[in-house]
Amino acid sequence: MSDQRTTREILEERMAPGEPVPLYNPAALEKIKGEFDRWLKSIVTEPDRKNWSVTPHSILGSELSRELIYSPLDNPEFDYLERLAFSGQEPYTRGIHPSMYRGRTFTIRQLSGAGSPEYINKRLKMLLEHGATGLNLALDVATVQMFDSDEPEALGQVGTVGVPIDCAGDMAVVFKDIPIDRISVSIVTHYPRNTAIVFPMYLVMAEGRGTPWEKLAGSVQNDFIMENLVRGACEYISPRDAFRIQCDNIEFIRKHVPRWNYVTLNGYNLREFGTSGITEMAVAVANGIEIIKEMTRRGHDVDSVAARLAFFWSLASDFFEEVARLRAVRRLWYRIMKYRFGAQSPRSMWMRCHVQTSGSSLTREEPMNNVIRAAYQALAAILGGCQSLHVDSYDEAYSVPSEEASVLALRTQQIIEAESQVTQVVDPLGGSFYIETLTDQIEEMILDELDEIERRGGIVEVVASGWLHRRIAGYIERQHKMVADGDIKVVGGNYFRAAEPKIPDIWVHQYDDSVGQRMRAKLTSLRRRRDQGQVTKCLDGLKTACQKGGNVMAACVDCARADVTEGEMRRAFVDALGRWSAPSYM
Amino acid sequence: MANQKKIVRVLLAQFPLETHTKGMITVAGLLRDAGMEVVLLGNARPEEIVTAAAQEDVDVIAISSYCGGELVLGGKLLELAQEEGIKDRAVFVLGGLFPPASAAKLAELGFGATFPPSSSGEEIVSGIKRAVAARKRSSS
Repeated sequence: MSDQRTTREILEERMAPGEPVPLYNPAALEKIKGEFDRWLKSIVTEPDRKNWSVTPHSILGSELSRELIYSPLDNPEFDYLERLAFSGQEPYTRGIHPSMYRGRTFTIRQLSGAGSPEYINKRLKMLLEHGATGLNLALDVATVQMFDSDEPEALGQVGTVGVPIDCAGDMAVVFKDIPIDRISVSIVTHYPRNTAIVFPMYLVMAEGRGTPWEKLAGSVQNDFIMENLVRGACEYISPRDAFRIQCDNIEFIRKHVPRWNYVTLNGYNLREFGTSGITEMAVAVANGIEIIKEMTRRGHDVDSVAARLAFFWSLASDFFEEVARLRAVRRLWYRIMKYRFGAQSPRSMWMRCHVQTSGSSLTREEPMNNVIRAAYQALAAILGGCQSLHVDSYDEAYSVPSEEASVLALRTQQIIEAESQVTQVVDPLGGSFYIETLTDQIEEMILDELDEIERRGGIVEVVASGWLHRRIAGYIERQHKMVADGDIKVVGGNYFRAAEPKIPDIWVHQYDDSVGQRMRAKLTSLRRRRDQGQVTKCLDGLKTACQKGGNVMAACVDCARADVTEGEMRRAFVDALGRWSAPSYM
Repeated sequence: MANQKKIVRVLLAQFPLETHTKGMITVAGLLRDAGMEVVLLGNARPEEIVTAAAQEDVDVIAISSYCGGELVLGGKLLELAQEEGIKDRAVFVLGGLFPPASAAKLAELGFGATFPPSSSGEEIVSGIKRAVAARKRSSS
C-alpha cells in the first residue's frame, strides 16, 4: 500500500518526542529574560530596537530575517541530544563521521578543464601531481547534450567546456595511465540519459584494461531535474521517462559497480540557475524521496539503495546561512530516512555531499575579488561538514578555468585544510545560539517547500506541470531586480564600482577547432571499421529496453562494447520514447 | 518619424546545445519591461534562427551564449543571414560568457553589440536601442 501522506505528516506522526531534556533550566532562562529586557530598554538604542530584525539580501540567498543578537531565549527548549548529539551519531547534525576531518580530510576534487581527450589526460595527471585526491571529469557541451562531435548541432562546441567523449575509445584516451582502481573519479554526467550512455563507456574502458568493475570508485550525477528543468536543449524526453532512466541506472550500478555512487542529487546547478538555497535543498530531497519510493516499489531494500546516494550543493556568500544549511539538511535527511523509510543502516541516514562554491556570485569586474569570495564560501563548506569540495576559479566569468586559476583554487583548499587549523575540531560553530537557531529555521523552511512539492503531486509532477519552471523564473526576476536596485550589493559591480572598470589581462582558453576536426576524423574511421550489424542489433536492444521496460543501462553497455556512439544512442532513446515539449518559463 | 516609433521586435535564441538559460530568461523580461516585443525561440540551429527571424520579421536577433564556440556559430549565423537577405535588415547582438577578445571579432563578423556577464539591464536595453538606431541610419 502506498502512503499518500506528505513527508511532514509522516514525520509528525512517527517522530513522537521522547522525554525532553532541555539544556537551559527555567530559573536561568527567567534570569536571562529579565536581563535581556533591561538591556533592550536601557542600553540598546531606539533605531537598533526598531531594526531588530533585518532581511539580508544576497546572491541566491533565502531572505531569512536575522535578529540583532541571538541568545538562549531564541531556543529556550533546546535539547542537546535530540537536536545535535555528537558527530557520527544520530541525528548527524554535527557531521556524519565521529572524527570528521581529523579522520579523513575532505576530498579535493577540482574540475578538469576543457580540450581534447589527449589534453585532458595530461591535465588530470597534472591535478594528481599537485595533490588532488579525486578527479572530476567535465564533459564538453556536445557530450553533455548527447550529440556526437560530427553532428551539425555540435559545430563550434567540441571540446569547449570539457572533454568530448563520442565512444568507449575516447574514455581509454582520457584515463590512459591513470590508476582508476585507486583514484575515485566523478564523471559529470548531469542527466539520467547521458549517464546511461557515457558511464557504460567508462565501464567498457575498465573492462579493456582488465580492471574489474568491483574495484571502480567514483560517482555520476544522474539527476532528472538537470535533464528536464535546469538545462536548455533542443530536444527533451518526458520527466517521467527521465526519472525512470535515473532509476534504471541506479539499479544497474548498485548491482554491478558496488563502490560507485550512482546518483548525486544536484542542487548546485538548480540553485545556480536561479533558486534560493532552500528550494535547492527541497527539490533535491524530494527527488531523493521519489527515488527511494520507486526503488522499494521495484523490490529493493531501502538500505541498499540509500547507501550510495549523495548530494551536490552550491555554497554562496551568506556565510552563516550556508553553514547552517548543510547542518539542517543533514538532520532532515536523517529524519526522513529513519522515520519515513525505516532505514536501519547509519550510512543510509547520512547526507553525504560534494560542495562547489557559487559560480553566479562571481563577477567579471575585478576578477581577483573572486578569489576572496570563493575562499569564504569554501570555508563555510568546511565548517558545514562537506565530504568533498570544488572551489571555483576566479576567471569563471571569462572562460573555463585556466591552469593557473585552477591551481590557485586548489591552493585555496589546501591553505584552509593545512594552515587555518579549522579542521582540527568537529563542527566548530555548533552550539552557537545563532547557528542553532538558523539551523532549526532552515530545516523547517526546507520541510515547508518539500511539503508544497508533495502536495502538488511530487517532484516529477511539479517538473512536468511547469510549476517549478515558473517558480525559478520568478526568483531569477526578483534577484535581478535586487541587483539592479542595489539591494544586493556586489563589490566592484554595483557597490564601490571602479570609475573605469578595467578588463584585466586574463589568459583564457581560445577555442581550438582542431579538436573538433580530430574528433570528426576519429568518428569517420570508427564508423568504417566497426561491425555495423552488431551496432544495429545493440541499438534495437536499447529501443526494446526503452519500450518494454528492460534496464536501459544494461542495453547501453552492450552498445558501448559495439562502439555505438553517444549520438546514436541518444537518437535511439528519442525514437523509442518520443519527445517532450518543455513548459514555458513565462 | 513614424517609423522610429515602431515597437522593436526581438528574436531571442541560443545555439542548439547551449545548456544555460538563465541569461535568456532574464533578458526576455528586461526587454519586455522596456517595451519591446520578444519572440522566445530558445535552443535552435543557426538555420532555424535565420528562418524564424525572417518569418517573424524581427528587428533584432539576440543570442545568448555561455558554452563557447560563439565565433564559429556566430559566423555561421551571419553567413546564413546574408544568404537569406536579412543581415542588412536586422541587428544581431550576442550576450553571455565569452573571452574578451571575442567581442572585437564578433563586431567584425557583423554583430551590432555584445554584452559580457555583469552587463546591467540598462546597458543591454540601451545597447540594443543604439544598435537598432545605427542600423536604421545606415539603411535609410
